[in-house]
Amino acid sequence: MPLEILLALVIGGIGVITLLLHMTGRSERTNLSDDTAGLAWLRQFPEDDIHQVLISQDRHAALLRTSQGMGLVWAFGADTVARPLADCSLKETAAGLQVSFYEFAAPATRLTLTETERTDWRLLMKPA
Amino acid sequence: MTDTLSYPDVTQWAVPFFILAILGEFAWIAIKGRGGRYETRDAVTSLIMGAGSVASGIVLGFLAWGFFTWLWALTPLDLGTSLAAIIICFVLDDLRYYWVHRFGHRIRWVWASHVNHHSSQHYNLTTALRQTWTGTFSLVMLIRAPLVLIGFHPALVLFVSGINLIYQFWIHTEAIGKMPRWFEAVMNTPSHHRVHHGRNARYLDCNYAGVFIIWDKMFGTFVPEQDSEAVDYGLVHNLGSFNPLRVAFHEWAGIWKDASQSGLTLRQRLAYMVAPPGYSHDGSRDTSQSLKEKHLARHPEDAGTPGFN
Repeated sequence: MPLEILLALVIGGIGVITLLLHMTGRSERTNLSDDTAGLAWLRQFPEDDIHQVLISQDRHAALLRTSQGMGLVWAFGADTVARPLADCSLKETAAGLQVSFYEFAAPATRLTLTETERTDWRLLMKPA
Repeated sequence: MTDTLSYPDVTQWAVPFFILAILGEFAWIAIKGRGGRYETRDAVTSLIMGAGSVASGIVLGFLAWGFFTWLWALTPLDLGTSLAAIIICFVLDDLRYYWVHRFGHRIRWVWASHVNHHSSQHYNLTTALRQTWTGTFSLVMLIRAPLVLIGFHPALVLFVSGINLIYQFWIHTEAIGKMPRWFEAVMNTPSHHRVHHGRNARYLDCNYAGVFIIWDKMFGTFVPEQDSEAVDYGLVHNLGSFNPLRVAFHEWAGIWKDASQSGLTLRQRLAYMVAPPGYSHDGSRDTSQSLKEKHLARHPEDAGTPGFN
C-alpha cells in the first residue's frame, strides 16, 4: 500500500474513532465509592486488609488506610489504578495535589481536592 | 531456488478492515448495551501503539529481512510456493508463534516487548492493535530461522505471519461469547483469548495460541474460560499512564532499573533480564507461580480446578 494512503487511513481512522468515543461519553472518568475503591485496592493487593476509605469530593480518588500502610486509588479513565504511598512525593497544585511515584509506568497523578481535603489528605499521606 | 518472491503486506492492507470492524464492534456494544467496553484514552493509546508498531516495522524491518535473506542464501532447501507449501508454512509458523508467545510471557527480555499488548484494562478490537514497538530488540526473529532453513522463502514466512496476526484481530472481543464446539476445540477463539488476557491468578500464563488452540492442549497450557470467574483484564500491576512512550518502554526501563542496582551479582543482574517476569533477587516480588500459590492459600477450594493444576 502506498505510504501516503496508509498514513491517511491511520490518521483518519484514529481521528474518527477518537471523536466518536468522546462524543458518546466514553471519556468520562469513573466515580468511586467506599465499596468500589476498596475493591479496586484488593484487585491490586488481594492480601491486604482495608481499615478505612476516604473518598475525594469529586469521587475520582480515594485514600485508604490498609494493613500495609496508606494507599491511593484513582480513576484512570473508566478504570482504576492503585498504589501504596510509602514511596511518593507530594506537590500542591491549584486544583489540589500532585502525587509523584518513582515509577516509569505510573509517574504521577493529579488529584482535584477542596482546600480542606488538600490539608487533610496531605497530613494523612505524609504524616510528619 | 526462488530468489525473488513477493507477497502483499497483508497487515497494511487490512488497516481499512480494522477501522471498520472497530466501528462495527463499538456500534454493536452501544446498541446492545453489552459485549464489551470502550474508553477514549485507552482506545487511542491502543491505536497509536498499533500505528507505531507498523512504523517500527517499516523502519527496523530491514534488520529481520536481512537476517532471513542471509539464511535463505545459506540453505540448499527450497520448498517452493505451492498451496501445500503455503499451508504447511502457515501451520508451522503458528507453532513458532505459540513458542515465541510462551517465551514472551516467561522470559522478561521478551516480555518487555510483549507487555504493552496486555497493558489495557479493556478488551476490545482496539486492544488487538496495541502491539509492540520493540519486537526487533527482543530477538524473537531468531525463532523464525528454522522455517527459512528448512526451505520456506522469507517472503512466504512473513506473509503467513501477517495472516496469523490478522486472524488474531477478531478474537479480541467480548461481543462474541462462544463459537461452535468443534471450532472452540481446534481454533483460537475470543473465549480462549479472553482467558489469555486475564490478570486473575487462574488465568495467568495460559492460552498462548495464535490460530490453533491445539498447541496449548498439546503442551499443557490450555485453560478454558470459566463461567464462574469473569476475566479481569490488564496487568498484575496496572499502568498509571496512557502515554504511548511509557506503555512501549516501561518494562525496558524496569529491566534497566532492576539490573543496574548496586550490590547485585552478575547472575542476579542476568536474572532480572531473562528470568520470568516478577523475579526479584530478594524475593520481594511475585511471579505468576507465586501469585497462583498465594491465591490457593486464600482459596484452597480452587486447587485442582482449571488454571490451578
